[in-house]
Amino acid sequence: MSAEVKILDGNTFVVSDDRGDIEASLTDPTGLFSFDTRFLSKWILTIDGQRLNPLSVDDLQYFETRFFLVPGTGTVYIDAKLSVIRQRAVGDGFHEELTVFNHDDKPVDLEVRIEAACDFADLFEVKDALKKQGEYSTRVEGERLVIGYRRETYVRETWVSATEACAIDDHGMTFAVHVEPHGQWTTDLHVAIGRGIQGAGGRPKYERHAKKARPIMETSLEKWLDDAPGLECDWDPLKRTYHRSLVDLAALRFSPVSLPGHYLPAAGLPWFMTMFGRDSILTSLQALPFASELARTTLVALGLWQGSRSDDFRDEDPGRILHELRFGEMTAFEERPHSPYYGSVDATPLYLVLLDEYERWTGDTKLVRALEPQARAALAWIDDYADLQGNGYIAYQRRNEETGLENQCWKDSWDSISYRDGRLPGFPRATCELQGYAYDAKVRGARLARDVWRDPALADRLEKEAADLKRRFNRDFWVEDGGYFAIALDADGSKVDSLASNNGHLLWSGIVDKSKARSVASHLMSAAMFTGWGVRTLADGQGRYNPIGYHVGTIWPFDNSFIAWGLRRYGFKDEAARIAAGILDAAEFFDGRLPEAFGGYPRELTKYPVQYPTSCSPQAWSTGAPLLLLRTMLGLEPTGDHLIVDPALPNGIGRLELLDIPGRWGRVDAFGRGRVDVAKRPRRAAQLGVIKPEKKKRGGR
Amino acid sequence: MKQITREFFAELEKQPALPGRQTGVLCIDLADGERTEHWYLDIRRGAIHVSHKGLTPDCVMSTDLATFEAIVDGRMNAMAAVLRGAIQIEGRFSLLIALQPFMAGPREALKRPTAGYARRRS
Repeated sequence: MSAEVKILDGNTFVVSDDRGDIEASLTDPTGLFSFDTRFLSKWILTIDGQRLNPLSVDDLQYFETRFFLVPGTGTVYIDAKLSVIRQRAVGDGFHEELTVFNHDDKPVDLEVRIEAACDFADLFEVKDALKKQGEYSTRVEGERLVIGYRRETYVRETWVSATEACAIDDHGMTFAVHVEPHGQWTTDLHVAIGRGIQGAGGRPKYERHAKKARPIMETSLEKWLDDAPGLECDWDPLKRTYHRSLVDLAALRFSPVSLPGHYLPAAGLPWFMTMFGRDSILTSLQALPFASELARTTLVALGLWQGSRSDDFRDEDPGRILHELRFGEMTAFEERPHSPYYGSVDATPLYLVLLDEYERWTGDTKLVRALEPQARAALAWIDDYADLQGNGYIAYQRRNEETGLENQCWKDSWDSISYRDGRLPGFPRATCELQGYAYDAKVRGARLARDVWRDPALADRLEKEAADLKRRFNRDFWVEDGGYFAIALDADGSKVDSLASNNGHLLWSGIVDKSKARSVASHLMSAAMFTGWGVRTLADGQGRYNPIGYHVGTIWPFDNSFIAWGLRRYGFKDEAARIAAGILDAAEFFDGRLPEAFGGYPRELTKYPVQYPTSCSPQAWSTGAPLLLLRTMLGLEPTGDHLIVDPALPNGIGRLELLDIPGRWGRVDAFGRGRVDVAKRPRRAAQLGVIKPEKKKRGGR
Repeated sequence: MKQITREFFAELEKQPALPGRQTGVLCIDLADGERTEHWYLDIRRGAIHVSHKGLTPDCVMSTDLATFEAIVDGRMNAMAAVLRGAIQIEGRFSLLIALQPFMAGPREALKRPTAGYARRRS
């Protein structure tokens, strides 16, 4: 099994082995994918019937890679007289420049062959290994090979062509190649999405038929990096992590079919390269001080798709913001509800939070006015459709029992919501962070109503409702004998009383009474929750706690970035800095690319963050976590037309400068110097928050 | 041409502004046996004016009458139909997406809360 090499652009991506070959089976996630459909499942290069051997792979950019190969398949070093370079760039399909070098002083005649085939699998089929219902075809059409699939009116085609003369048959292309001594031979291979979704073309990501595949300017990485604020820091790892985050965020940009030329963050590479309500919103929030265009596109695109009817199959209701949009065959034939699927209960209030935060940063009242109907519909959804139990709290219970999502909050695994003793509650479930989001949505909605929509009556009503919600929430969710908020209310309105990281999101939302904030913050920073790397999703000591349980003990960098923001909101600057230090230290172990989650083992036990096996990297909101932590550490807060800077940085960071921060103020710089002692013996060191082993402290509640 | 399609176009002009308040011309080509009817939606900042005049479209949506009726009746999902190739789109896709809320079947469906899931608190 060779290593996987991935390149992507938007929702088109290629996964191959380290020779550049693709040999996919139905359950094997390799190939060329676009719009959730596999457009190439076989792509094998041979020279004189022989496979090639990889010497090295050079990842040039996220959309481009280069394979250095030699003929022969032995394990010993071959003194090759030939070598091959495949340089591949993804765009609308992919483009491969294939070069054969003759290092001998005699000419050679070679048969170079590319085998090509496609199964047109839907991503959902690859995950679930399902059978196809349509018919396949291959034909040679002029100078290209056309590989096709048809099921009723659903037609998908891949077109394969080359710039050099070749013999094309149903299974590939054969080149009769003559290479002079010390000479080379080159052909460009083009694999195009010949027939995809009608009208979903948009613009090609690179100039079609250009000799060199180059991305078009608006989407180029250089411009993206130029537009982002510059970062200078005494602590080098942060510079690397920052750069990695920006590059990965660029790779995760996705242009929705509805808004060609505009980009929002897709959820993750490669399986989640699509619009997700929750992921796109939270990542846009994290990235607001760095790239507000992502938030703008997210708001417009999600607004365009806002729910308009009650549809049980899609868990859709008027005003609801979508969960996930997919384009594959199973969605086309309504075997899956993703056209789009609306089964997320937090995306709608978070949509309002993003709309307000976007305006606070950019001053773009024009967009807030244009989206007024969507914002009002979202506010109405909270009251009219999300209150499933009629008790004034947002809750979820899927109506699509077959293919809908059971847990519609961010902790969406089956055992994520549990009582302290480990039992699982029934449905509906009203998780606590949803109430916080709803509160924040109303508070922010009130501000927009008053300042932008000029509707003081609505503003008054929303403020009154928010205050009422806050009062009831602090009474109904508070676990008296624990001093924290229950993770949820169950179907009977009783507390699901486990201690979980959701408490940090509550601080972020502002729903927590001041008198309770200290107790909540203490829990988050206790040994039961804070490992030295970050805050666990579920506290040690709870029934279902498991340091490598997906939502019951692992540490999620995105979660921690919002927890840190929440701590700052209530004035716990040093605590926020400690979390930032832990997560940024962890990032360094992952070469600046934080995973979705990592193990919740105590830092002094493992010395390094234990990776959690995950299929998706980079993941958008993990990529956004260092950005939000930067904002949090520097204490960046828009106030009117100014940006407040109030730094509280871990000691080891030294001097930190974030330059040219864009916003309604134009561009401003922020400076800070590390002053917060996050470790027992602070020093400017390789790691920010390392704790001396002899100070090891265990236990907890 | 059935009643429901005529009603759909008649109702469109009375609707509130389309999401996103777009401007553009959407041409809807409906094939009914040998005949094809062209409906032009002249959309200005979200407000729709319906005509049969040959305007220059920013987006052309072509389908057969039966598919279109199933969609405006709320029996078929427009996006799934596009993915399936039952509807062909050329040009600005966002104009069609913006129209989706009005393809939800009878008007009252828009306001209907789902039984058992939306009891407003007193």
